[in-house]
Amino acid sequence: MIRITFAISLLVLVTACAEVQTKSEAFPKMYSETEKPVSIVVVPAINKSTAADAAILVNSTLTVPFADNGYYVLPISIVSDIFEREGIVEGSQIKGMPLEIFKSSFGADSVLYITINKWDTNYIVIAANVVVGMSYVLVSTTDNEVLWSYDQEIIVDTSGDSTGFIVADILKTAITTAMTDYIPIARQVNATAVATMPFGKYHPLNGEDAEMKVVLKNAKERAIDSLE
Amino acid sequence: MKIIQPLTIVLCFLLAGCSNISPGGYYWGKYSYTYHDLLKNPSDSTRSAHERTLRDIIKKSEAKNLRTPPGIHAELGHLLHKAGKGEEAQSHYQAEQKLYPESEIFLQRLLSEHRNGDEE
Repeated sequence: MIRITFAISLLVLVTACAEVQTKSEAFPKMYSETEKPVSIVVVPAINKSTAADAAILVNSTLTVPFADNGYYVLPISIVSDIFEREGIVEGSQIKGMPLEIFKSSFGADSVLYITINKWDTNYIVIAANVVVGMSYVLVSTTDNEVLWSYDQEIIVDTSGDSTGFIVADILKTAITTAMTDYIPIARQVNATAVATMPFGKYHPLNGEDAEMKVVLKNAKERAIDSLE
Repeated sequence: MKIIQPLTIVLCFLLAGCSNISPGGYYWGKYSYTYHDLLKNPSDSTRSAHERTLRDIIKKSEAKNLRTPPGIHAELGHLLHKAGKGEEAQSHYQAEQKLYPESEIFLQRLLSEHRNGDEE
């Protein structure tokens, strides 16, 4: 009986918290003929985590998911060279700037801000995991309005299989965690977030995904909060 | 049961054949890895490894009849320009613009920067 009451209250909690929207309900501007972006300029990631390497790692994994989703992503390597010359090394330096400049000098319809909120490795003696949390905010260069936003967190187990001997396990956990290939982890976070983004011009299903009910309203709003 | 087995084999072949192609229909090769190495440790060897990746993406995309992904021709052009190979760089900028007309303003900006840089 207790179990049933618990299950019901959990169900109520879940339905109350997790409001799920369709892509077009959540991001109507992405379906408007006049406001839908074609090209994206990615500004250097804002790193709020304690891992210094995280920004480089994330910057090197961003082109693929957004291009795959149907957008023209301005070549990040060239763009970041230009930013560096202008003294811009982090996206936060661009916050509050009128974004029209990216339209006139780069021809970009939108600017993508990435915030790395968490990049932590946790050890619990013989187990370890990596928690990665990132938020994504796409802003129009025409009117500075948010076009798409999402906040995503994932936990990846990096401990490897047990050997059956505790000392060996501790060693193995430390080694496998140190040698973890973080690129697939960054890719996984990107892919989960980008799954909520409406398809762009170069995607075969462009314009046909409006009714996909995949957007957690909370996650959409949290991303905007983390940029502020 | 007899039908399932050959079907599974055919499916495996199909999947293996397509496994290098991303959900968006592009071939990316080792892009993220060689670019990450270049960012983390810029040197002649990481630069030429990334250049090989870019050339491999262009070659395989053509061979597989796929559109070369956004930015690849431009990035290769930029690397070549820095290495003093201006003419080859130009041809890649042109290829990028032909595939992705959205890149025009950006590439024009790059070209004019290159011209100004060359005069200095």
